[in-house]
Amino acid sequence: MLGKIFGVLCLISLVCASITGKLEALGGAAAQGAASAVTVSLGLLGAMALWNGIMRVLDAAGATRALAAVTAPILRFVFPDAYRKNRGISEITAAVTANMLGLGNAATPLSIAAMKALAENGRDEVAVRGRATDEMVTFVVLSTASLDLVPTTLLALRTAAGSANPGEILVPVWICSSLCALSAVLLAKIPSAVGRWLGRTIKPPADSSPPKMGWRKRRGDGMLS
Amino acid sequence: MKFAAGLVVPLILAAVGALMLFARREKSEKYFDAFIAGARDGMQTAVKLLPALVALLCAVAMFNASGAAELLARLAAPVCGALGIPPEIIPLLVVRPVSGSASSALAAELFSRVSPDSFAGRCASVILGSSDTALYIIAVYFAAVGIKKTRHTLPAALAVMAVCVLLACTLVRWLY
Repeated sequence: MLGKIFGVLCLISLVCASITGKLEALGGAAAQGAASAVTVSLGLLGAMALWNGIMRVLDAAGATRALAAVTAPILRFVFPDAYRKNRGISEITAAVTANMLGLGNAATPLSIAAMKALAENGRDEVAVRGRATDEMVTFVVLSTASLDLVPTTLLALRTAAGSANPGEILVPVWICSSLCALSAVLLAKIPSAVGRWLGRTIKPPADSSPPKMGWRKRRGDGMLS
Repeated sequence: MKFAAGLVVPLILAAVGALMLFARREKSEKYFDAFIAGARDGMQTAVKLLPALVALLCAVAMFNASGAAELLARLAAPVCGALGIPPEIIPLLVVRPVSGSASSALAAELFSRVSPDSFAGRCASVILGSSDTALYIIAVYFAAVGIKKTRHTLPAALAVMAVCVLLACTLVRWLY
C-alpha cells in the first residue's frame, strides 16, 4: 500500500510540476523531505519511548484488568450473540482493552483471536457461505474507530513539532473517539437489522427453517459439540 | 477547558510516579522494568518508522513543491468551507484510512508548515488520535478468518471516518 501511495504522489507531482513549470524545484524538495524524515524521527524517539514506557507501567499495574471490568458489561450488550454462546466476549474484551491502552503489538493478535471466536460462533454462515456474521462486522467497524486512550504517536509528533501543549488535544480526542465508537456500533448494527427485517418480511430464504425452529436447531448443535 | 486539558499529561505522569513510589520495593522495580521495556519498544517503533518516513516525506515534499497540494486544497476549499474542515488537512484525510506511517508522515509535514497549536493542526491531531487505519484493519482481520464477503463493513467504516472528521473539526472549534 505504501508503494502505491508513494507512486501516486510522485506521478501527480511530476505531472503537476510540468504544468506549473516548477520541475526544477522538485529535486531539491525531494532531498529536503528525505532529510526532514531524520529530524522528525529523532524528535519522535524520546517522546515515543516515554509514552510507550508509561503505558506499559499502567498495563503492569493492572490497568488492563480494571479497564476490562469496565468495558466487559458494555461489550456484552454490543455482542449479545457471543455472550449467549459464551464464546468470544473475553477475547473481544482483551482486544478492546489492549487497543485502549495503545498496546499495538498485543492488540492485533488479540483481535484476530476475537475474530476466530466470532467465526466459530457463526460457523454455518462463515464456513458455508464465506460471509461475515453481524457481530464480526460490528467488531471490525468498532476496531476501525480508534479506541486509543493515549495516542502515543500523536503526542510524540506534536512534541517533536514544538507544540506549546502536546496533551491539550487529549480531551477532544476522548470525546471524539467515544462518539465515533458509538456511531461505529450503530452504523454496523443498523444495516444488519434492516437486512434481517427485509429478509424476514419479503423473501424468507428457501434454505432456512422458520426462525423458532432454526434457533432450536442451532442451539442443539452447540450443545452436542 | 484549556487549564483542564493541560492537566491531563502531568496527571498521568504523576499517577505513574506515585505508583512507583508507593508500591512495595519488588513491585516498584517491576514497574520500572516495564517502563524500560516499553520505552525500548517505543524507540524501536520510531526507528522502524524512519525508512518509510524518508520515502513518504520525500514524496510529500515533491507533492507540495509541484503545486499539487495547493491545487488540491483550492479544489477542496468550497466543500471544506461548507463542512468546516480546514483545507490543509485534505491529504491527511485521504491517507488516514489506508496507512498509519503515511498519515504520521503527512501529520509531521503538516505540523512543520502550520503550528500543531493552530486550528488546522488541532483538527489534524484530533482526527489522527480518534481514527484508525480502517482499510488495513478490515483486510487483516477478515483475512485471518478467511472471509471475502465483508458485507457492509467498508461503507460503515468509511462513514465512521466521515463522522470522526466532522466531529473533530466541530469539537476543536467549540473547545478552543
